[in-house]
Amino acid sequence: MATLTMYPDDERLSRGERSVFNLYLVSAVALFVLMMLLGLAMRMSQGNWLALAPDLFYRVLSMHGAGMVGTMGLVTTAVMWFFLRKYVTLHLWAFLANYVLFLLGALCIIGSIFIGNYAGLWTFLYPLPSQGMVWSPQSAAVFMVGYLLIGVGMLLFYLDAAAGIIRVFGNFARALGLQWLFGGQIDPSHPKAVVAGTMVIIANSLGILAGAVVLVLYLINIYDPQMVLNALLTKNLTYWFGHMYINATIYMGVIAVYELLPRYTGKPYSVSRPFLWSWAASTVFVIIVFPHHLLMDYAEPRWMAVTGQIISHGALFPVFLVTAYGALANVYHSGMRWTMPSRLMMLSLFGWAAGIVPAVIDGTISVNRVMHNTQWVPGHFHFYLLLGVLPMALALMYHVVGSRRQAPPDSGADRIGLPLYLVGGLVFVMAFLDAGRLSVARRMATHLPEWWPTDQAGAIGAALVILAMSYFAVRIGAGLLKAPADGDRAHAAG
Amino acid sequence: MNAVDKRRTGLALIAFALLILPPVRHALQASMTAQMLLDIPLLVACGWLLAAAVPHAVRSALAGWNHGGVSGLLLASVTASVWMLPRALDAAVNDPWVDAARLVTVPLLIGLPLGLSWPRMGFVVRGVFLAELIATCFRLGWLYQISPVRLCSRFLLDDQQRLGTGLLVAGGVLFLYIAARLLWGNVASRDSM
Repeated sequence: MATLTMYPDDERLSRGERSVFNLYLVSAVALFVLMMLLGLAMRMSQGNWLALAPDLFYRVLSMHGAGMVGTMGLVTTAVMWFFLRKYVTLHLWAFLANYVLFLLGALCIIGSIFIGNYAGLWTFLYPLPSQGMVWSPQSAAVFMVGYLLIGVGMLLFYLDAAAGIIRVFGNFARALGLQWLFGGQIDPSHPKAVVAGTMVIIANSLGILAGAVVLVLYLINIYDPQMVLNALLTKNLTYWFGHMYINATIYMGVIAVYELLPRYTGKPYSVSRPFLWSWAASTVFVIIVFPHHLLMDYAEPRWMAVTGQIISHGALFPVFLVTAYGALANVYHSGMRWTMPSRLMMLSLFGWAAGIVPAVIDGTISVNRVMHNTQWVPGHFHFYLLLGVLPMALALMYHVVGSRRQAPPDSGADRIGLPLYLVGGLVFVMAFLDAGRLSVARRMATHLPEWWPTDQAGAIGAALVILAMSYFAVRIGAGLLKAPADGDRAHAAG
Repeated sequence: MNAVDKRRTGLALIAFALLILPPVRHALQASMTAQMLLDIPLLVACGWLLAAAVPHAVRSALAGWNHGGVSGLLLASVTASVWMLPRALDAAVNDPWVDAARLVTVPLLIGLPLGLSWPRMGFVVRGVFLAELIATCFRLGWLYQISPVRLCSRFLLDDQQRLGTGLLVAGGVLFLYIAARLLWGNVASRDSM
């Protein structure tokens, strides 16, 4: 069970752990700001405020997509590691190996885009990568190798985490608490971080396996074009991989809410039967929900499309409802300590909740046919990533910064930065959603003049977000790198 | 050598003797499917079982060079990558010397190192090995099904496609078995790697 002690001893970081953990977080906040700047450039270009040549636009879009998804995976892995290591043995070498392989993968991706001119987007849909007009097959291959390296790194981390979980709990079923689904006395100390971590390991390992298969087949196709792949199967596997990867970031990030919220409310937040049911259901749902990305593919078997819609409607609710209800019940009448971590956690719950709504709407086949190729979809995923998942990670970062002086951060600049981030984020995502309502096509470098107002509004929102995020990055970076406070046993240990 | 080790060694030698009998060889090399899904796995299994015959002194001497079973895994992987080449399969059917090399190297350089290394491997190394094995089954299975040309000149296209299906099934079965063990089974998990 999550502790009520604000900075418990079992979260102390040794010197080596602190170094690697800081590498993750400092790299992540720096990458977020850089990727956001690329996003701003694209929105300004679409709004006719900046001249980006179309080929450069699609390269920037590829970098922004791959970079944001990868960085979100990196930072939420750090969240999972930070809390899971309290309950099971995790090896630092696996955590570090994931970081090193991520960096190598990122270098491949950056090289393929900015040296090799790859512009086939992060979804690398077949046969686009191998048939690009402005990039060579070799640069597409380097992009694929970059993804493979990132996937291998994450798989190593998951295997190490799985080993730790199995050593303590025996198997995944017991780690998920399946033995208490239909009865029995639930162990109140069963860690939510273990339940969520197990679910992520199961789901994302499957996704990485699918990615490892399809990416190698891409490489074979690039160097031997007579090996023609089945486009529909390839797309299914690509989205199975991509969908699971980005969804895993939510489920890794939410561990921060489970662990930290009770410390700020001062109320226990123990595991319950609905909680276990919701995570068990979501483990299945997140694996089979990916066909909702393929509702526009006429060749997709009908039963898969129907499954995609039904599971979309069902999958989004169990964990979210249980988490939101549980979190709000935990906050209610609690005398919450309103500091940056607690504010960010509440923002994340709002962002997750509100960001789901456009997804549920788009997951309906009849709506999807009209909306899926519009900016409604980037409106959805920017909503839950920018205002949901990223604040979860920021909450942990601020919490760790606070641990250096044994008090949660809450400066005047923080209190200005957060509303700026929220307002900017809302303007930014609402501009996307409104553009979706107006049927503005997504993934287009050049926009019609009629579309410019939403693009320009989005650019203004993005600029505000970047302003706030730049402040967060400096504040968090400086806070993490600052020497541990005197008498802080947490860091003296290192 | 204890009784179990003696039984395993005996079983390995008997199986190997059966596998090199001309009628058996002929049957197992008659199709690509049999060669890839029966012949090679059985030869690997012979080598794996033969690990029981390696004296403890030799094992101890090798252990210093085989931390976490990684060296053995590497040797097995490199050797396996040679015998996965279609050209190597063709040569084994055409040239008795190449076939003899295969009969020696597959058990001794794939099966035996794996048999010696598996107990030394931690959860992560085993996980990487099995994940890559499953992914390779799926990749090759898919590849053999879509290839418009024969990858081995000795075997027909329909045989190649049948092998593709077989590899997809093998990968699927292996995956389901491991998934079931992880979910509900009792999986040994060593502290190292």
